[in-house]
Amino acid sequence: MTGSNEYKLNQGPEDSISAVKFSPSTAQFLLVSSWDCTVRLYDVGGNTMRMKYQHTAPVLDCAFYDPTHSWSGGLDSQLKTHDLNTDQDTIVGAHDAPIRCVEYCPEVNVMVTGSWDRSVRLWDPRTPCNAGTFTQPEKVYTLSVAGDRLIVGTAGRRVLVWDLRNMGYVQQRRESSLKYQTRCIRAFPNKQGYVLSSIEGRVAVEYLDPSQEVQKKKYAFKCHRLKEEGIEQVYPVNAISFHSVHNTFATGGSDGFVNIWDPFNKKRLCQFHRYPTSIASLAFNNDGTMLAIASSYMQEKGDISHPEDAIFIRQVTDAETKPKST
Amino acid sequence: MGRKKKKQMKPWCWYCNRDFDDEKILIQHQKAKHFKCHICHKKLYTGPGLAIHCMQVHKETIDGVPNAIPGRTDIELEIYGMEGIPEKDMEERRRVLEQKNQETQKKKQNQDDSDEYDEDDEPGPSFQQTAAGQTPAGYIPPIPQPGLPPGSGATGIAPGSYSGGKLEIQLLSMLPPVGHHPGITHMAQLPPAANMLTRPAIPAVSAPAAQPDVTKPLFPSAGQMDSRVASTSAGSPSADSESASPIAMFPFTAQCQGPPTLPPSTSSDLSKPTFPAYTQATASLASPNTGNSTVSKPPSTMTSKPATLTTSSATSKLIHPDEDISLEELRAQLPRYQRSIHRQGQPTAAAPSAGPMGGMMASQQPGLRHPIPSQYGGPPQGMPGYIPGGMPPYGQAPPVGPPGYQGAPPRPPMGMRPPVMSPGGRY
Repeated sequence: MTGSNEYKLNQGPEDSISAVKFSPSTAQFLLVSSWDCTVRLYDVGGNTMRMKYQHTAPVLDCAFYDPTHSWSGGLDSQLKTHDLNTDQDTIVGAHDAPIRCVEYCPEVNVMVTGSWDRSVRLWDPRTPCNAGTFTQPEKVYTLSVAGDRLIVGTAGRRVLVWDLRNMGYVQQRRESSLKYQTRCIRAFPNKQGYVLSSIEGRVAVEYLDPSQEVQKKKYAFKCHRLKEEGIEQVYPVNAISFHSVHNTFATGGSDGFVNIWDPFNKKRLCQFHRYPTSIASLAFNNDGTMLAIASSYMQEKGDISHPEDAIFIRQVTDAETKPKST
Repeated sequence: MGRKKKKQMKPWCWYCNRDFDDEKILIQHQKAKHFKCHICHKKLYTGPGLAIHCMQVHKETIDGVPNAIPGRTDIELEIYGMEGIPEKDMEERRRVLEQKNQETQKKKQNQDDSDEYDEDDEPGPSFQQTAAGQTPAGYIPPIPQPGLPPGSGATGIAPGSYSGGKLEIQLLSMLPPVGHHPGITHMAQLPPAANMLTRPAIPAVSAPAAQPDVTKPLFPSAGQMDSRVASTSAGSPSADSESASPIAMFPFTAQCQGPPTLPPSTSSDLSKPTFPAYTQATASLASPNTGNSTVSKPPSTMTSKPATLTTSSATSKLIHPDEDISLEELRAQLPRYQRSIHRQGQPTAAAPSAGPMGGMMASQQPGLRHPIPSQYGGPPQGMPGYIPGGMPPYGQAPPVGPPGYQGAPPRPPMGMRPPVMSPGGRY
């Protein structure tokens, strides 16, 4: 059902995809981590897999430090960096439990990992080595970097904002304004706030400035829900990705749909066709011309048979991603 | 938003009282919901226009404006957007909005207060929590027990009465010990204190519950709750450990056990003002193109609990496994992935407490932590985790995660190993 503006990646992972991330400077390269224990690098333009490296257990997240270095971690609790030029691995360090998130903060030049061991660890990418361990109140489920700040979403619906330049104390402790488990948090490119999604088909748009006038602007909306035979099926919203240019964002849910939202006018801009199965991860490339869509069953209904996991690359247009001036 | 004629407040629909960001959106809404002909679906511009259309084209009379709330169905009033709204209704609206704003302010202040109380097992705050039992007080009943002096706890409180009456009695009986603050002060603090139930209450539940069991004979079901909480509090302070049965005992617990304290379906003062943008936005985000009619429903028809989710109600079903842990954690517990974790021979030998891990997948991360492979006390000798020494039944080469068999083999071997098997037994 893919049109000419969308195609499936060849040599995809052999099990569910946990994360897709585009290279920060090269719009063509995509890093993909998977439950098949591999991390793969794709040239999306030519639709080829360029490189693949292994972990000893399923990989839950990956990130580019720079166009030639990828970092990844997963159920093996080990943080690895891979040199994409020399195809060499280095084990940088480890957590005490599986690593769930790996992100890079360009402003502070530090890699950040979050784990189910309830800690966030910083890593200096140049050496590379550990640059601190910071306890969180609960297992880390998601995190996102906004400028020099870090937003951490944990179990128990907690949200913490840290200043990466001063990790001695938590800058803000919040509770998710959604009543259900936090699934994903992504910061706005303009660093003013973040978008938080839950397992209950809902997304909240929140602001970092704690002052009352700014906090009044926060809102939430329902999405990724389908009505079938009078019963509303409510799906987790697993993935969020921001368009770097327009500050609009895409959400992907376990219903298999991808929606693009304009947070300023509070409108949905676009909904793509339904994908074969749950959307596990989304990523816009750095110039906002392409969206990588990982369609992977996430065991929402238990361990049942499901459509094949696949990654789709879609060329997106301004019409789909740009706010409409009213 | 840029509209000049906003009548000093946000545009709202006179027919159904909904708020909109923009008058243009309001008009679109009115045309689609109130001025649309039910016969031919033509969208008219006003109520009278619709009436005339139905009469002339379909020879039918309509008696009221469709989808309007009672009292606002007048078909003869010519209202377009914000124009034509009777002055008295405008004033009424302004008054209602002001009231709501005041409550929002008050609630916002109280929210700030509650944020300061991070860890709470002092008697002070927990008294207030108890006192706030009238509102979303689900887990209040266990809290007062340790605070109650044995005498007052025993007097006159029938074990069977778990309704609000009991809470009030406890409140009154607790005032004397509190002493320095007159009872009125406590009373005044009740509604605000309710907001503190969010996080502070949860550690408070597990902490005081572990204390004296004086009240156990008096409050049998609460006693059970205590023991349950006490056992799981050893494992983790998170409220995730509380299982579903306390909820059966305390009906209103169901609505606010754990962090989601605000009972979603009741229109208590606490739920609305706290996230005004939240509830309003659900209405205003109904993009006309999607016909997403669910947006107009009340914010949530579901209740939630920390350990397990209420996944369905009459009208909606949450597509997520019951346990309130992340999908990745659930998946990592599958045997085929556990094998690859074991293969690394994580040497951590710490045995987490066997109790909570026993059969409760919901309970914590122990299932994922690498203490599990400690059964080998070290390197795995090239054999995948579940197969006990000397029994390689499947002669399996340990390549990465072959989902050859799932579940059955792990169980018997696990039984043979004395310590720390529990997560394996889950499978």
